[in-house]
Amino acid sequence: MTETAVQAAIVIERTYRATPEELWALWTTKAGFESWWGPEGFRVEVHALEPREGGVLEYDMIADAPEAIAAMKEMGQPISHGTRGTYSEFRPHQRLKLVHTIDFVPNSPVYDSVIEVGFAPVADGHARMIVTLHPHLDPHWTKMSVEGFTSQLAKLDRRFGWTEQRS
Amino acid sequence: MHTDIFETLADPTRRRIVAALISGERPVGDIVRDAGVHQSGVSRHLRLLHEAGFVSVRPDGQRRLYALRPEPFRELEAWLALYRRLWEFRLDRFGVALEQAQRNPNPPPDNTDIKDPTP
Repeated sequence: MTETAVQAAIVIERTYRATPEELWALWTTKAGFESWWGPEGFRVEVHALEPREGGVLEYDMIADAPEAIAAMKEMGQPISHGTRGTYSEFRPHQRLKLVHTIDFVPNSPVYDSVIEVGFAPVADGHARMIVTLHPHLDPHWTKMSVEGFTSQLAKLDRRFGWTEQRS
Repeated sequence: MHTDIFETLADPTRRRIVAALISGERPVGDIVRDAGVHQSGVSRHLRLLHEAGFVSVRPDGQRRLYALRPEPFRELEAWLALYRRLWEFRLDRFGVALEQAQRNPNPPPDNTDIKDPTP
């Protein structure tokens, strides 16, 4: 973690009709992770996934949709980049902490991005997932995230008819 | 979105000064004491915070009183809201992937250790 990073936490909680085991699998198996990870317009190809504490997670993040490819090109970024993370905490079906090493942001020092996830069963065959994010308020990262995705979000807003942030 | 906001807050001393001003308008002496900032550096940091729109300053007799301004914090909030939405989208995808996995009677094996030597 760099000294210059500004850290803030965002907590997102969702309840699914599922068991904690099913949710857990989407974070800790190759097929599960590949089935959903990545921003809109991107897909991932997992090359290494060690499901244990301290285990590595290595994958390529690949711009997939035409808009994402165009956005990456516009920012002078390759459409695919290797990404590396570690499961720094791994308590099956309860809690994990995934630390990504962010070393692909131009003109920005390498830093860690931490995602914590808690899993808990609730009533009637549902399970709750609590995702805690620590966004890195680095100016370059911000520029990349915001410029890269704002137009895309606007498109999605229109597609789904959203006018306000959903709860 | 002014990236200046992030550059301004990237400095831990300035973050301590901002924290010291949360309770309201303060003279420099209070900021020095509460933020644990060295007197020699506080003027420079307050100037930078002022230039970036984080603090206002007004004279009060011999003193100058500093206070936080809401605008940059609203921008930060907007940025965080955007970040949150990006993640809401991701979790929408998570939900879709979950339903697909539940419909699939042959779940993928719980991989133990995949290593692809491809560079």
